[in-house]
Amino acid sequence: MKRSTRLPVYATAGTLAFFYLPLLIVLVNSFNKSKYGGEWKGFTFDWYGQLFSDVHIWGAFCNTLLIAVAATIVSTVLGTCAAFALHRYKDKLQFLHYLMIYSPLIVPDILMGMSLLLLFVSLKVKLGLFTIILAHISFCLSYVAMVVLGRLQDFDFAIVEAAYDLGASRWQTYSRVVVPVLAPGIIAGALFAFTLSIDDFVITFFVAGPGSTTLPIYIYSAMKHGSPAIINALSVVFLAMTFALVYISQRLLEDRK
Amino acid sequence: MNLTKLAMTAAVAAFAVFAATSCGASKKSLHVYNWGDYIDPSIVKQFEKEFNCKVKMDFFDSNESMYAKIKAGGGGYDLIVPSSYYADIMFKQKMVQPLDKSKLPNVANVDPEYLKKAVDSKMEYCVPYLISFTGIGYNKDKVKNFRPSWRMFEDASLKGRCVILNDPREGMGAALRTLGFSLNTVKQDEIDKAVKLLVEWKSNIAKFDVDEAKRGIASGEFWLIQNYNGDMLQAKEENKSVEFVIPEEGGSFSADTLVIPVGAAEPELALSFINFIHSPAISARNMQFTKYLSPNLPAQKLLPEEFRSNPAVFPLPEIWAKCEVIRDLGEANALYSKAWDAVKAAEVR
Repeated sequence: MKRSTRLPVYATAGTLAFFYLPLLIVLVNSFNKSKYGGEWKGFTFDWYGQLFSDVHIWGAFCNTLLIAVAATIVSTVLGTCAAFALHRYKDKLQFLHYLMIYSPLIVPDILMGMSLLLLFVSLKVKLGLFTIILAHISFCLSYVAMVVLGRLQDFDFAIVEAAYDLGASRWQTYSRVVVPVLAPGIIAGALFAFTLSIDDFVITFFVAGPGSTTLPIYIYSAMKHGSPAIINALSVVFLAMTFALVYISQRLLEDRK
Repeated sequence: MNLTKLAMTAAVAAFAVFAATSCGASKKSLHVYNWGDYIDPSIVKQFEKEFNCKVKMDFFDSNESMYAKIKAGGGGYDLIVPSSYYADIMFKQKMVQPLDKSKLPNVANVDPEYLKKAVDSKMEYCVPYLISFTGIGYNKDKVKNFRPSWRMFEDASLKGRCVILNDPREGMGAALRTLGFSLNTVKQDEIDKAVKLLVEWKSNIAKFDVDEAKRGIASGEFWLIQNYNGDMLQAKEENKSVEFVIPEEGGSFSADTLVIPVGAAEPELALSFINFIHSPAISARNMQFTKYLSPNLPAQKLLPEEFRSNPAVFPLPEIWAKCEVIRDLGEANALYSKAWDAVKAAEVR
C-alpha cells in the first residue's frame, strides 16, 4: 500500500468545498447591495435591517422556534421510550411495532401532510400551531427512535443489573445510569428532530392554520414576488443558529465525560 | 434528582408552549391567504386602524398547493388571492361565495375594458387584484436592432444569451401568438406548428428558466428573456439597461383576484377589505409598492407620470388588444403537457 497518496486529503477538501462553498456564497451575498446577487455592488447591512423590522418574518420565526422546541421535547421523550421498548422486549408483535415506528420515515411528505389534514378536518380539530406541533411530533418521533435504537445496540444491560444489586430504585437506575449512558444518542436524536422540525415545509403547509405561518412557508411563498436578498440574510441567521446549537451540544457532551 | 428536575421543567415548558398557542385576541380578525410579498404592509396597517381589527396574513407559494389545502378542508381564511383561472375552478367547485356588490361601491372603479377580457367579467365571485404581463425583458445596451417581437428568439446574435420561461402555457403561448393563433387554442394542428417553432428557438436559447433568468438579466449574463413585467421593473432598479416590452404579436397576462371562500368567519370584514383595496389612493400605493398593475381607473390617474407612461406597466391599447389571459382548459390541458414534453425532449441541432 502506497503511503504517500494524498487522495484522502483531496477527497476531504473536495467534499467540504462541495458542502460549504454554496453556504459561503449565500453568506457573502447577504451583505451584497445587489438584490439579485449577480454582481458585487457594495457592502450593506440593509437586508438584515429589513429582516429584523419585518413583522411577518418575526412572527414566522417565533412560530418556527416554538413548534421546534415543543416538538423536540415531546418526540425525544417518546422516541427514547419507543427505542427502549423495541430493544428490550421481545414479543411476537415486535416486528409490527418496529414497522409502525419506521414507516413515517419512508412515507412521502405530501402524503403525510394531506392525510394529517384530512384527519384533523374529520375530527374537527381547529388548524393552528397545535396541529403543526402534533404533526411534527409524529415524524420526529421516528427519527429519534431510530437514532437511540442504534445507540442501544452497544448498551450493556449488565450495568442496569449492577445498579439494582447496589440498591438503586427503578427511577434512580433510569435517571442516574441508563439516560446518562444513552445521552449522546438522545441528544443526537433531539438535534435531528429539531433540525427536521425547523426545516419542514410540505407537512407544515397542509396542517398550518391561519396565523401560524412558519419560516419555511414564508420563504417559499416569498420566492415568487419577494426579494432573494432577504432570504440570503435569513439563511445566514439560520445557519448561525444551527452552528451554535451543534457547538453547544458538543460542549455538553464533552463535559459529561 | 437532577434528571427529575429536568424532566419536570421540560414538561412545564411544553405545557407553557401549548398554553401560549391557544391565546386569543379580543378584536375581530381577518385572515388573508396571499402570495408572499404581494401587498404593501402600510396598507394592511391602515386597514387595521380604520376598521379596528387585526389582519393575519398567511402565505402560499402556488395556486396548486393552496387549492389542494382548501379542497381538503384546511380552511379558516376569510379572503384568498388566487389567480383568475383558479378562482374560476374554485367557483365551479363551490368553494367560493358570490360577492354582495352592494357592499363594494369601489369596484365600479375597475376598468370595463379589462373586464371584457377577464374570466369573471361581471365580478360575481372575484374582483381583480393585480395584473401582470409576460413579455420580453432585454438589455438595451447589448441587444442590437431590437424589434418588439417574439421572433427575437431566432436572432443569431443572441445565441446562448436568451431564455424562455420554463412554463408550458407561457412558452407555448409565445410561439402561438407569433404564428397568430390564440394561446388558449385546442386545435392540434396549431399546437403542432407552435411546437415546431419552439424547437427552432430551442437551438438558439440558453435554456428554459424562470428565476435564473431574472438574475441573469440583472447581472448581464442574459441579454433577452421572456419574463413578467413586475420582475423586470425590479431588475431595472438593479441594472439600468434593462427594459421591458410586450411584443407586437401580443402576449399573455395573468390576473390575481380576491375571493371569499365558503365558510369564511368574517365575510363582512372581507368585503370591507376588498372595497378598501379598490379605493383609488390605496390602489395607487399598492401599485407602486408591488410594481404590478391594478385595473382601477381612478387609481391609475393618481400615479406619477413616469409610472403611468411606462409601457412595461401600462401597455398601449393596440398591444392590449392582442393580449390574452391564460385560461384553464380542463381536459385539454393534457394537449399542452404533451406538447411541452415534445419540446423538452426534442434534440437541438
